[in-house]
Amino acid sequence: MMPSNTEENAYKIAYEREKRARLKAEEILESKSRELFLKSERLKESYDLLQKQQAAMLQNEKLATLGTLAAGMAHEINNPLAFVTSNIESLIKYHHSYATVIAFMKEISGTMPDDLRTDYEKLVEEEDLEYIEEDLPELMSDTVEGLTRVRDIVKNLRSFARSQSSDRDLSDVVSGIESTIKLLNSELKNSVDLKLDLQPVPSISCNLNELNQVFLNLIINAKHATEKQPKPTISISSQTSNSEIVIEISDNGCGMSEDVIKEIFVPFYTTKATGKGTGMGLAIAYGIIKDHNGEIIVNSEEGQGTTFTIKLPIE
Amino acid sequence: MKGVIFNVLEELVIEQCGIATWNEILESQPVEGVYTSGESYPDEELFALVGCTSTKTNIPIEKLIGIFGERLFEGLATRYPSFIEAESSLKGFLISVHAVIHMEVRKLYENPNLPDFAYEEGEDTLLMRYSSPRKLCLLAEGLIRGAAHHYNTAISIDHPVCMHKGSDHCDLIIRFL
Repeated sequence: MMPSNTEENAYKIAYEREKRARLKAEEILESKSRELFLKSERLKESYDLLQKQQAAMLQNEKLATLGTLAAGMAHEINNPLAFVTSNIESLIKYHHSYATVIAFMKEISGTMPDDLRTDYEKLVEEEDLEYIEEDLPELMSDTVEGLTRVRDIVKNLRSFARSQSSDRDLSDVVSGIESTIKLLNSELKNSVDLKLDLQPVPSISCNLNELNQVFLNLIINAKHATEKQPKPTISISSQTSNSEIVIEISDNGCGMSEDVIKEIFVPFYTTKATGKGTGMGLAIAYGIIKDHNGEIIVNSEEGQGTTFTIKLPIE
Repeated sequence: MKGVIFNVLEELVIEQCGIATWNEILESQPVEGVYTSGESYPDEELFALVGCTSTKTNIPIEKLIGIFGERLFEGLATRYPSFIEAESSLKGFLISVHAVIHMEVRKLYENPNLPDFAYEEGEDTLLMRYSSPRKLCLLAEGLIRGAAHHYNTAISIDHPVCMHKGSDHCDLIIRFL
């Protein structure tokens, strides 16, 4: 029958049209999904970058604040430290005078009239003068030692907080690394496998002694980090890249957690046992590299190792 | 299994046997029969529909899966022409399946349960090592034949190692004639 045939045909045509529409809709959906995916990937990358930059910015701000604080503290402590140190030196001299008089008194006490001698000996005993005489030199030397430590701490704080270039010469950084390695020879030989890839780099205006201190601190830390490794290895490389000298000091040691990495450049932060480290090594390294308008970057993975990258601009 | 596979099966059945047969197949199964290309549906549902199609058409299941594979390539090529256009040769296309096409599918869908392919290239051969818990090596063979047809390339396929014979993978050796 014609009408039913026509109706059937009409449905078939409509079915095929709907099918094409469905395919088109699915195509649009997939293309939008792909767009969304790519945008979300880009967003994720930007977000990660932003987070890294924000973390670096916070770290820099924190260290800058600490630098100001450290400089202020160092200055404030330095003034009283100077007169305390000077006074202690005078006191040591004064004590020498007192000691001479006391020794003389002791010597002549035998010739004193009995009642005077008795009073003198009683006074010596009451004031515990013999013990004081015995203890005073030790107190003085301990005090001097304590003051020396305070002076070192202040010096370290000033190194961290440095903001002025000092004693710059045109120097070869690689020769600095080489001399530092020589200095550490006895410390490193037979205990770590040292891999060197030192490409020559242009000389730059720097304070090589200070940079050597940075290399020394980093190499010593690397050595400590690899102490429990079956095959301890430290790799040191230098190269020139994009108007920068890039120095890498890597170890295959214990590595650091994210929490530790955040704090390593903070003065007095240490993971070493009490009395084993001052917590100033990396803070000073950071201060020195910043003072050279450079960058010090750390990459570390727990159980895998750590790489410190130092970038110094070639003027 | 993605809905697009069901869509192409539907196309094949309608083309060969008419829409009434497809409706009968759907009615004989406890399924709704509504398949959207990007949605995932139970594998068993597809296997049941293919099994039912085999019974209805008297085509042995292995042969039907091969035919379906060939038609599936055509269906996918029509829907996603960019993957075909990106490769000028059959060999290049087959190699791109794992690293390019499957990668793109993963971008769109979470957990798409794709098969794994490893490749070994010979002078005039390509070994495709197939592994998938679905063990659909015959479908893969059909897809390869569909691709060969599309690229107008004569091939033969050897299948000496097979998951259906106790191996943990299938070796599909494609010889370019």
